[in-house]
Amino acid sequence: MSSLKALPTLLRIGFSEAIVYRAEMLIWVLATTMPLIMLALWTAVAEVAPVAGLAGRTWSSGSFVAYFLIVFIVRQLISSWAAWEINFEVRQGTLAMRLLRPIHPITSYMAGNLAYLPQRFLVTLPIVVVLVLSPGLEHLSKSPAVWAMWAFSLVGGWMITFFANIAIGALSLFIESSVKIMDVWLAAFFVFSGYLFPIDLFPAWLRSASDWLPFRYQIGVPVELVTGGLTVEQAWPLLLRQWGWALGLLMLALTLWQVGVRRFQAVGG
Amino acid sequence: MIRIRGLTKHYRVHKRPPGLGAAIRSVFHREYTLVKAVDGLDFDVARGERVGFLGPNGAGKTTTLKMLSGLLHPTSGELSVDGHLPQSRETAFLKKIMLVMGQKQQLLWDLPPAETFELNRAIYDVPKDEFRKRLDELISLLEIGDQIGKPTRQLSLGERMKCELAAALVHGPRVLFLDEPTIGLDVSMQVVMRDFIRRYTEQFGATLLLTSHYMDDVAALCPRVVVIDKGQLSFDGKLEALVQKVRPEKRLTLRFSAPVAKERVAELGTVVRHDAAESVIQIPHDSVNGAVGRALAELPVVDLNVENPPLEEVMSELFGRSRAARAEGESAS
Amino acid sequence: MTRYLRLLGIQLRASALLAAQYRWDFVVDGVISLFWAFTAIVPLFVVYGARRTGIPGWSFGEALVVTGWFILLQGILDGAINPGLAQVVDHIRKGTLDFVLLKPADAQFLVSTSKFALWRIFSVVSAFVIFGLAFRELGRLPAAVGVLESLALLVAATVLLYSLWILIVSAAFFVVKVDNLTYLFSSIFDAARWPSSVFRGALRTVFTFVIPLAVMTTFPAEALLGRLERSTLLGAMVGALVFASLARLVWIKSIGHYSSAGG
Repeated sequence: MSSLKALPTLLRIGFSEAIVYRAEMLIWVLATTMPLIMLALWTAVAEVAPVAGLAGRTWSSGSFVAYFLIVFIVRQLISSWAAWEINFEVRQGTLAMRLLRPIHPITSYMAGNLAYLPQRFLVTLPIVVVLVLSPGLEHLSKSPAVWAMWAFSLVGGWMITFFANIAIGALSLFIESSVKIMDVWLAAFFVFSGYLFPIDLFPAWLRSASDWLPFRYQIGVPVELVTGGLTVEQAWPLLLRQWGWALGLLMLALTLWQVGVRRFQAVGG
Repeated sequence: MIRIRGLTKHYRVHKRPPGLGAAIRSVFHREYTLVKAVDGLDFDVARGERVGFLGPNGAGKTTTLKMLSGLLHPTSGELSVDGHLPQSRETAFLKKIMLVMGQKQQLLWDLPPAETFELNRAIYDVPKDEFRKRLDELISLLEIGDQIGKPTRQLSLGERMKCELAAALVHGPRVLFLDEPTIGLDVSMQVVMRDFIRRYTEQFGATLLLTSHYMDDVAALCPRVVVIDKGQLSFDGKLEALVQKVRPEKRLTLRFSAPVAKERVAELGTVVRHDAAESVIQIPHDSVNGAVGRALAELPVVDLNVENPPLEEVMSELFGRSRAARAEGESAS
Repeated sequence: MTRYLRLLGIQLRASALLAAQYRWDFVVDGVISLFWAFTAIVPLFVVYGARRTGIPGWSFGEALVVTGWFILLQGILDGAINPGLAQVVDHIRKGTLDFVLLKPADAQFLVSTSKFALWRIFSVVSAFVIFGLAFRELGRLPAAVGVLESLALLVAATVLLYSLWILIVSAAFFVVKVDNLTYLFSSIFDAARWPSSVFRGALRTVFTFVIPLAVMTTFPAEALLGRLERSTLLGAMVGALVFASLARLVWIKSIGHYSSAGG
């Protein structure tokens, strides 16, 4: 309960920190410009002939513009880096300072990550402007209801990212460093989330794999929703799965954290 | 307040032999050694008491403090701090205690300390006016009014440590575990910190357990000392008694009006330093009176002074002895 | 000279010891290398999927050669170049770079060789497997001249990567928090997995002259395929040399700035 009361202050101070580290954050954003490179690639491919998707959809350069610019925006809004934070603190021994405080550490990681959202949102604005002026605009949904669903799906997507980060970060309490595991997670994320290419263009076997992995629900589902890849009827079951993943990872993260801290107390940091 | 009974903490440590080949082999097959960081410790600390917690490096001091603050589980033994079991890390317990480690900081590096204070206020759920009042006190006691608005990274080590202490105390902890709080500070800053810690504990009736490499810290703050070595209690009592035990000698300084031969001084006790005009001798406690009498009667003494040996020497002797004993034990086994 | 070789040997040995100390990373590293190679090829399967034309001007096998070069250079980057960069950034943050500068050896050499991720050898192996697959797909072998040219370009590419790295490290002397510069560098390098012809306009200029990704993967691939013009080869070699001298110059200036600023 006291955790909730402290949340506004945690967020405010996290926000001041985000302002101090604005240059650093900008570098992070520059490092996530992959969708723009993929955009260049796919428009080059689409220029020769429109690309045919698995579901019979045809991708023109315009639809690629809409897709990848929205991918960029979604990636900014669902990002989290708690796994690296936890690894860093375990190595430096500063996790002890966090454990001494009468507040759940996951709450403070969450506040720290969420506090960067306003700035990340700001960064996406130029992209939004470009998107509105580009031929991608006509490929975007015009329905407010769909955009409301989009916002809802972003919450689920963020939860998947964040709790996966906590779960993998908590592994560092068992095995010294879990940064490498995070690397594997990220590599899989790049391939299966729809980040590098729309799931619609996947070969069938990759596509069914992506249905059963959490990654598509982080990026692909929100993006497909507003770029015409999914109808509302198709989207609901996917959103349900997304929240299933979100809650499942929440449970996993809490459990791993609890067991990990108990182990940390047993062997010392 | 603090009760420790039969406390032990054993670790398994991965043994890594030197050399590339051995390192590669150790990837597949690991050998472990058991380290007994704390090995059967008993002592109590009363409410409001200030206790110096001493021992050579690796004696188990930090491990004990970490167990007392709930960061580590004991392997066995009983532990209670103000009626709480530390390892269960109840909110009520965490609000009562604070662990300050001289080498680990909690201040947000690129924000002013004031922000960390505010953060801790929220985290520890301190009422606004109580926070204001206590912070004002801390700021005036520590004289950090000018520093709390600057980003932490721009502060000097001393200023930072003062702010670190203030951040640790905004929730008004009743039990303080200080692990080397003055490490790296210059002498005048150490004095400021010491005074502040004493005043805080007196004002709030707070209990203090302090480890420090600077004996002056301990002498100024702690009437009682607990010494541990190899995870076991080796002394518990008044600081003077410890000095007595380790160095049961006093130091006699004699100043002469005329040169005196070293042999004549040596009759009184062990000569520590000698030149024509001054001599320092070490004398067993109970024969001080006789030696002083003889010196005054037989030598051309103009000035005479009796004192305890310096604390730093006492400590290095104490720890040196334990090291020697350990080396002996190892070669014997 | 022999002293520097010996130093290099010692640093390599230290990296090997370090790698052996963390057994989990040990296992995971090998898996990751293979995984990265896999994730580098998957996009090709998507772009060259059924009923698709792929990248204009590049057949599947040809694009696979570019991917092979990408994986090879990524191995060099992550195995020999990035770890050192991370160390320097760390040194600057903690203020321990002074210790490096105090040592009686060239500071640039010391920081460049301070750490290696030896498990990236896996990437090199994967790259050669991919070359093999690519030329089987193409149904021919690379010409001897092409192999020689591409080896020359490999040297040029490594020099370029290294020089870019030195330039980034130099930036770390001026900007406060730059832990993530390594990440930025790797993520920009990711663009090199595609033939440079897909980039148009401003991006093309950037990737040819500012961050010469084309020289690193596309040119060597074209050399192997026997379709690189001599003038391009020469230009790339000269460019690499210019980059290297520029990087050395900036490094010396930055060290001067660091010392005069008092850390």
